Amino acid sequence: MQDINLSEIWKAQDEKLDRTLKLNLYIIDSLQKQKVRSKLGALARFKLVVAILGMVWVAFLGLLIYGNRMQNPYFTISVAIIFIFNVIAVVVYLNHYALLKSINYSDNITNTQQKLARLQVSTINIARILLLQTPFYSTWFWTQQQVMHDPRFWYISFPVAMIFVAFTVWLYISISPANMEKKKWVSRFMNIGMEYKSVTQARKFLVELEEFKNDSTL
Amino acid sequence: MIEKADREEFLNLVQENKRIIYKIGNLYCRDKADIEDLAQEIIYQLWRSWASFDAKAKFTTWMYRIALNVAISFYRKDSKRKDSHEPIAEHLIEMPEEKGNGETESNINLLMQFINELAALDKALMILYLEENSYREIAEILGITETNVATRIGRTKEKLKKKFELINN
Repeated sequence: MQDINLSEIWKAQDEKLDRTLKLNLYIIDSLQKQKVRSKLGALARFKLVVAILGMVWVAFLGLLIYGNRMQNPYFTISVAIIFIFNVIAVVVYLNHYALLKSINYSDNITNTQQKLARLQVSTINIARILLLQTPFYSTWFWTQQQVMHDPRFWYISFPVAMIFVAFTVWLYISISPANMEKKKWVSRFMNIGMEYKSVTQARKFLVELEEFKNDSTL
Repeated sequence: MIEKADREEFLNLVQENKRIIYKIGNLYCRDKADIEDLAQEIIYQLWRSWASFDAKAKFTTWMYRIALNVAISFYRKDSKRKDSHEPIAEHLIEMPEEKGNGETESNINLLMQFINELAALDKALMILYLEENSYREIAEILGITETNVATRIGRTKEKLKKKFELINN
């Protein structure tokens, strides 16, 4: 089949559509009068609210670190590590906010779609990174006294913290977007909440987009 | 505030380009209800962006960008978009059944089916090509190079040609 035939078939369809297709102008008029509601706008506001709450939390952690000033090194170091994870999260959420604000459907297609897909993938990655702070919530109350002289520390506190570390690292590795395709429970776990939807497709689509943009080999 | 004249101008432009909206809907969705939803979403997004449309620019180029971006986003979602605008009970698109010439009708259906089977971005590329946009315009709309456009169009046409050959033999 020659190239011209594809165009001819396409044009034949145009003729048919010209004859038969009718748009209900009343509906378009109703759409024009609707109050503007945007899903992306709502998501941007959500990200901003989370970032602001994160900043308040980070400021509180900063005050705790300043107030303790290594009087109890276990407390200061634990809170400092939690502080760092949360600063990263706030920066990422502000970045998501800026990204969402920059998305414009009248931009070129690969750019817009890349932004949307990156946002989906990044959302799951920051959730995984935040998980890594969990064990430090079980170490902030340790004291030098306990570590040196209390046998219960080695029988209870320390093993509990180690279980937390092992569980968190395992969860971090397990709930990777790559595992969503292989393990059903990961997929179910990550589909809790609207933010995690379509992450797998977004990752695949990013690869497809890259290939689409760069492939010019004959 | 958007004037009535502005609303009418938009309506006329949408009316003139209804074929494109329908075809994009038809190629990115499988059933009639989804086509309606997508067409409605495209028109809604076009209207939302209408205030920022530069009158010196070509309307169709601007429309293709929005329509294809909306269609690809819609296509990638698991569920239909429910919260961007209020659902409307009536039908946006009315298309009475018409019995066409047997062979032509069958070729149209096959072409639509084959394009439907392409990946989301190749679909956009073929729509733009078959709508007779220049390679330069296609490159601008998609955000890729003209060389890339030419390469991919050549390859995709070849793929479609083979599918037609398989059916005909």
